[in-house]
Amino acid sequence: MTDGPSDAELLDRARTGDDQAFGALVSRYERAVAATVIGMLGPGDDADDVGQETFVRFHRSLHRFRGESSLETYLVHIAMNLSINALRSRRRSLLRFVSRDEADRTDFPEPRAGPDGEIDTAELNEHVRAAVARLGEKHRAVVVLRLFHECSTRETAEILGIAEGTVLSRLSRAMKELQAQLTPYVRGDGAALPEHIR
Amino acid sequence: MTHHDPPLDPAIAALLRGAAPARFGDGFSARVLARVHAQRDSSLVHALERQFVRIVPLAAAATVLLAAYNWWGARATAASALDAALNLPQVTLSSAYSPATLFGVANTLTDTP
Repeated sequence: MTDGPSDAELLDRARTGDDQAFGALVSRYERAVAATVIGMLGPGDDADDVGQETFVRFHRSLHRFRGESSLETYLVHIAMNLSINALRSRRRSLLRFVSRDEADRTDFPEPRAGPDGEIDTAELNEHVRAAVARLGEKHRAVVVLRLFHECSTRETAEILGIAEGTVLSRLSRAMKELQAQLTPYVRGDGAALPEHIR
Repeated sequence: MTHHDPPLDPAIAALLRGAAPARFGDGFSARVLARVHAQRDSSLVHALERQFVRIVPLAAAATVLLAAYNWWGARATAASALDAALNLPQVTLSSAYSPATLFGVANTLTDTP
């Protein structure tokens, strides 16, 4: 439940050129777009740029948005398409300078437990995001939508333009990879985990 | 055909949900609005560009027609094709320096009977 004016109200006002209303929509959906874009590209200027472009495109299509899907799904759709494009162009420019093996390799340090034996939440989250970043682009997109964004399988399939069965198989493979990397942090008594995950 | 989600490892799923990035850098909203404003300004330039692109072929066609018309009208004269197309008057060195051309007065030498 959102406080303040409804999306429909803000949309109507934004369509008449009310920047304050559009700004309110940006703040309201920044989290959804950030989860998608940063989940796909990792944090940094690229992600910020794609996040901005997502809202700029949305602003351009304000008059075309008829509300067939929820505003969140609509924005996540734009964000995902732009992120995939950005990943491809990033990959193209990276491959000009380094070999494919080097481009695929991402090294992240393991999270370390503090003196109390507990892993810092921020450090653990970074490690989890790094594990997601190591997934292939297609598997990562499914994980970002299904788990970061909590889209349904159907919504994920619609956004990515693939069959629901494909979403499920990609999710299953991605989860196997993630389990292999993250199980040490969730198995047993979870002694090393922050309280909210135990 | 309907698909049922396979049961996800709840601990891993919780770990992933908890790690979802939540925000861009500070001032994100302001950066978006600045870009929207910049876009608005450039959209006027783009609108003018679009009009220009539409007008150019019409202007080019009108120029060709006019040149053809001029050339057709002057084909009996000794004017070159370019002079004829551009409808340039026949100018010789002596006519260019004649008092009539230079000072707008009648040439007394040639005008007097």
